Amino acid sequence: MLCLHVARLQKPCETLYHSSGKQPKILKMKNLIIGSAIAIVLFTACSNGNNNTASADKKESDTTQQGVTAPEVTTTNVNEPNATPVKELVSQYLKLKNALASDNGKNAATAGNGIVDAIGKVNKTGFTAGQKKVYDDVADDAKEMAEHISTNAGKIEHQREHFDMLSNDMYDLVKTFGAGQPLYKDFCPMYNNKKGAFWLSETKEIKNPYLGKSMPNCGSVKEELK
Amino acid sequence: MSWKKKVLLTLLIVFIAFQFIQPAHNKNGQGLPTDIVKLYNVPPNVQSVLKTSCYDCHSNNTRYPWYFNIQPLGSMLNSHIANGKENLNFSDFGSYSERKQKNKFRSIAKSIDEGSMPLWQYTIIHKDARLTTETKALVTNWIEKTKDSLSRK
Repeated sequence: MLCLHVARLQKPCETLYHSSGKQPKILKMKNLIIGSAIAIVLFTACSNGNNNTASADKKESDTTQQGVTAPEVTTTNVNEPNATPVKELVSQYLKLKNALASDNGKNAATAGNGIVDAIGKVNKTGFTAGQKKVYDDVADDAKEMAEHISTNAGKIEHQREHFDMLSNDMYDLVKTFGAGQPLYKDFCPMYNNKKGAFWLSETKEIKNPYLGKSMPNCGSVKEELK
Repeated sequence: MSWKKKVLLTLLIVFIAFQFIQPAHNKNGQGLPTDIVKLYNVPPNVQSVLKTSCYDCHSNNTRYPWYFNIQPLGSMLNSHIANGKENLNFSDFGSYSERKQKNKFRSIAKSIDEGSMPLWQYTIIHKDARLTTETKALVTNWIEKTKDSLSRK
């Protein structure tokens, strides 16, 4: 089949060569570059499109694997007085919060990545059925938010939108599992067209992650989480 | 035959060979029980806006343009669609947790409001998919109402 097609196309090919023979060298190089670019795009595009379901399967098996390997990571925490399975998650979240407060999208992206990693390492073995339900629901959403934050280093406003939703998730997590450290729930009434948004902070002093350096002190403590 | 001719011929053969690999169509006539229209009250006028402006990349039913049949364009399109569906799929909206649905609604309204969606690259070709001030308001108001009903649950 393939050979037949190629053979039939011989003639137009020849004319193509003929005209290209008259072109200056640079132009021919250009053809070559464009041609190889098309070939490369084609390969990547195909592999992307076809592996769609496969990659979804892979993700699932990845998470189950992480669930299996998790215990050795968090066993050390169990002996600590304020052990919480979400300790690392909280600490990455606070890093993200501080990065946004200082208008640093790049550090925010790094912390976003840290959150994704931390979610993968949470030890779920001791969870009650109720805790597991809360955790799975929250973690699924939080992971997506963190992924968006990690891939949008150049769009800090976009990162902040997801940080708003992520803060909701983190609050529910901390309420269920504790934070391993005292936290404050702060509220900024101005963000998101005056709809307002809250965040969690390790300091009593307000450092607004939504408005950053333009209005660092906007907001107030609404709740103390101990 | 010079090496340049050989390279060109090889590329041409590769190009032709790839025409035989036709990517699968993102078309599923049967509605899933998790389709958004089965979960929420979506008025017909809102539905029609969603269909023409969003569903090509955010549902299980794409209206394919003719150039989908030329490779690698078709494969590129499909990878865009896969990416779009991964972020939001109206045909499978019910598979998201309630928390996620609420956040999805919020993100949809936000991207419509600020005009980041539908993508301008898409509306260059699909002129009918462009949103006007009226259609934007229509969809965002509907989202606001639906989202409120969700938070009251």
